[in-house]
Amino acid sequence: MGFNIIFNSTGIINFAQGEFAMFGGLFAYSFAVALHLPLLLAVVLAIAATALIGAAMERAVVYPLRNASIITAIIATIGASIFFKAIGFLFWPKVAYKVPEFTSGNLSLPKATVSMQFLWVLGLTAISVVLVYVFFNRTKAGKAMRACSINRQAASLVGINVSRMSLYAFTLAAALGALAGLVNAPFAGYSIGLFLGIKGFTAAILGGLGNTFGAVTGGLVLGISEQLITGFLTLIVGVSTGYENAVAAALLILILLLRPQGLVGRGVVEKV
Amino acid sequence: MLGRNLWREDKEGEGQKQERLRWETLYRALLNLVNANRVLLIIAAFLALLPVWAVPLAKPLHLNIVATMQMVGIFTIAAVGLNLLIGYAGQISLGHSAFFGVGAYTSAILAVRAHFPVWLAIIMAIIASAIIGLLVAPILRLKGHYLAMATLGLGLIAFVFMQEMTGLTGGNVGIRDIPGLSIPGLRIATDKGEYYMIWIIALIILALCANLVSSRTGRAIRALHQSDVAASAMGINVSWEKIKVFMFSAALGGLAGGLYAHLQGYIDPNLFYITLSIELVAMVVIGGMESIWGAVAGAGLLTFLPKIVEAVPRWFGQGVPSWVANYGNYQGIVFGLVLILTMIFMPSGITRGLSDFVRYRRSPFVNPYRKKVVE
Repeated sequence: MGFNIIFNSTGIINFAQGEFAMFGGLFAYSFAVALHLPLLLAVVLAIAATALIGAAMERAVVYPLRNASIITAIIATIGASIFFKAIGFLFWPKVAYKVPEFTSGNLSLPKATVSMQFLWVLGLTAISVVLVYVFFNRTKAGKAMRACSINRQAASLVGINVSRMSLYAFTLAAALGALAGLVNAPFAGYSIGLFLGIKGFTAAILGGLGNTFGAVTGGLVLGISEQLITGFLTLIVGVSTGYENAVAAALLILILLLRPQGLVGRGVVEKV
Repeated sequence: MLGRNLWREDKEGEGQKQERLRWETLYRALLNLVNANRVLLIIAAFLALLPVWAVPLAKPLHLNIVATMQMVGIFTIAAVGLNLLIGYAGQISLGHSAFFGVGAYTSAILAVRAHFPVWLAIIMAIIASAIIGLLVAPILRLKGHYLAMATLGLGLIAFVFMQEMTGLTGGNVGIRDIPGLSIPGLRIATDKGEYYMIWIIALIILALCANLVSSRTGRAIRALHQSDVAASAMGINVSWEKIKVFMFSAALGGLAGGLYAHLQGYIDPNLFYITLSIELVAMVVIGGMESIWGAVAGAGLLTFLPKIVEAVPRWFGQGVPSWVANYGNYQGIVFGLVLILTMIFMPSGITRGLSDFVRYRRSPFVNPYRKKVVE
């Protein structure tokens, strides 16, 4: 979703999105464990701090490149991603940190056991989807951002401050990334990066870029089909489960070739 | 002019005249050749003399310059191929680690398991990479960000395959004891020998590419960069030209990978992760897009940068606090910053930025690729 927001309003794919997730988890760890703050406060602070980094990145890297070519912008965000990761290692030199779970223990259902953390993931995803949807469709700033994505010049003609919208978009995307990172932190380790990025982008494409619910549907479809295909390959063909990430990447390429407008989107006619 | 020639004709016979004309033509051709390949010759002269001063300097600087220059040569080959694709044809590839890796593995497996001679194995590596390039060519229908992401996916797939096909590639253990570069009868198994060998190949490739971009195909490729539609209106077969340049670029990636495998003697999948693709693209962009020599500059800068960053703390001996000396990630910080700052301040790359500065007294910080914005 973070990918989606930034791509929507600036037309840039942010390769540092995975690092926002990393910072979210690391900040949460520092605030909660090292500084002994209450968990809720630590979470809020971590999200705020990451959002600040996102805003700083927009001003320092993206704003000067607003008229640059695609390749320049891609390289710059990749540079930012490498820089952030190195900074992360500088301040948090260990490979893995454990952020305390929001609610420990498992929930026993009649047929299965679900960890409480997983419920938090589901719940927070649902809440943030609704919030983002409301933001983009009901508030003035959200509508302005969508206008920027459709046509930046027209948006600026009707009095929208395009560069400020881009700043908002990065802040929001960083905050969402941080949320994703710290919710996932007890599960995943330190190095959530490129594969997360590939999967996030695939999900966003699958759902159709610029469609909030689409991104979530895309994420679900992607996750399930990835597991199914890998399972199929493992059971029937007999290859190892290590190919899971290759399946995700292959799905990405197939989707880009066959349905670049997303599962539900309509084709876009391109003008010369 | 005319008079002098007439006077000479009196003095020399017909045969002598023929002889003189032949020598003059030869001399002219040679002069033209020197003139046309000025940059190439300057680089060649610099490279030929490099070991003379670099070897004694290696110890005080804590930097093995000749060994680093071998890597620069290999990355130059890969970067110049990628520059044809990105800089000239305007097609972004973030998956060139795939071709580099395929080349390295093909060559290593053939040489170690099937006992192919080294150079035959490298030629097979080039062919294998070109074939893979042809197989994945359908993704060239994509544009811009989509193409970038698709090629990134390609790189990841190749990486996973290298890791998982343990029977063939040895998985994470990798392949060791790969025979080094050598010519039968010539003893070149030294650092310097391999250095000269790699750079001779690299310079041939550079000359080839420099001629290619000004040929008919080169002009067709550059037309693609501007606009697919305009290019096809000019009678250029857009998809075939794209496939050709992609295959050529993949083949050069394979050549670089093959040389790399034999130079290092050991390969494992982690060497060919996405970071390699990103480094290659960074070499192209920082060195200068649409510039053959930019690839050399980019490869040189980005190969030396981490080595220098690594060596600097050692110049100060024992005085460095341990947390500075032990922290292994300055490369990341410096590399990231260099990428960002070059993109912001010198988006045309260092070669073009600096040559424009010298030639037109124009600030190297102006962006010639700036989109025209109607305000």
